Amino acid sequence: MKKSFIIVLVALLILGSTAVWLFSTGANIKPMDLLHFGVIFLVVVFALFLGYKRWTSEKRGEPTEDELSKKVLQKTAAISYYISLYFWVFLLWLKDRIEFDSDELLGTGILGMALTFGISWLIIHYKGLANE
Amino acid sequence: MNNKIKEFRARYNLTQEDLAKKVNVRRETIVFLEKNKYNPSLKLAYDLAQVFSVNIEELFIFENLNENE
Repeated sequence: MKKSFIIVLVALLILGSTAVWLFSTGANIKPMDLLHFGVIFLVVVFALFLGYKRWTSEKRGEPTEDELSKKVLQKTAAISYYISLYFWVFLLWLKDRIEFDSDELLGTGILGMALTFGISWLIIHYKGLANE
Repeated sequence: MNNKIKEFRARYNLTQEDLAKKVNVRRETIVFLEKNKYNPSLKLAYDLAQVFSVNIEELFIFENLNENE
């Protein structure tokens, strides 16, 4: 219960502070900022979804983690790491062609990694891990 | 690898939730097992076989994936 609560609390804090950051910039919102906010929003929704799943498992008296969830997480981490390497290479290639400052580049890279992790998790989770 | 978990579960009149609690996994894991979307660890396979009082070979059907070898 405690861990689920912490996940939800951290997710809401991230969303809140991102909203404050975005709207405190006033009229200077760039399209890239909106893109970053969209990705952060998706990451937070994903965290809330995971928190909800853990909470319902706890409510039913089941363990919050078991061998399937751990294997899904391991495979997701491995695949998303592999994809992230190519993503960073792509960003470095893009940096020479599009005007990017270093903060934007790092932010985009980190959010891209988070997005890759989330998408990989969804695919592996719903596809299953048969014959592995 | 196929299995007869659903069949045995019906025979023992257990819900997926009941079975999950007996072998200490989440209900979702039982769903994945029944759909053959997950191959359990040896320990989980053993625990499931214990619940239904059968041998692992009776519960899980191992197919020879490399017949030529």
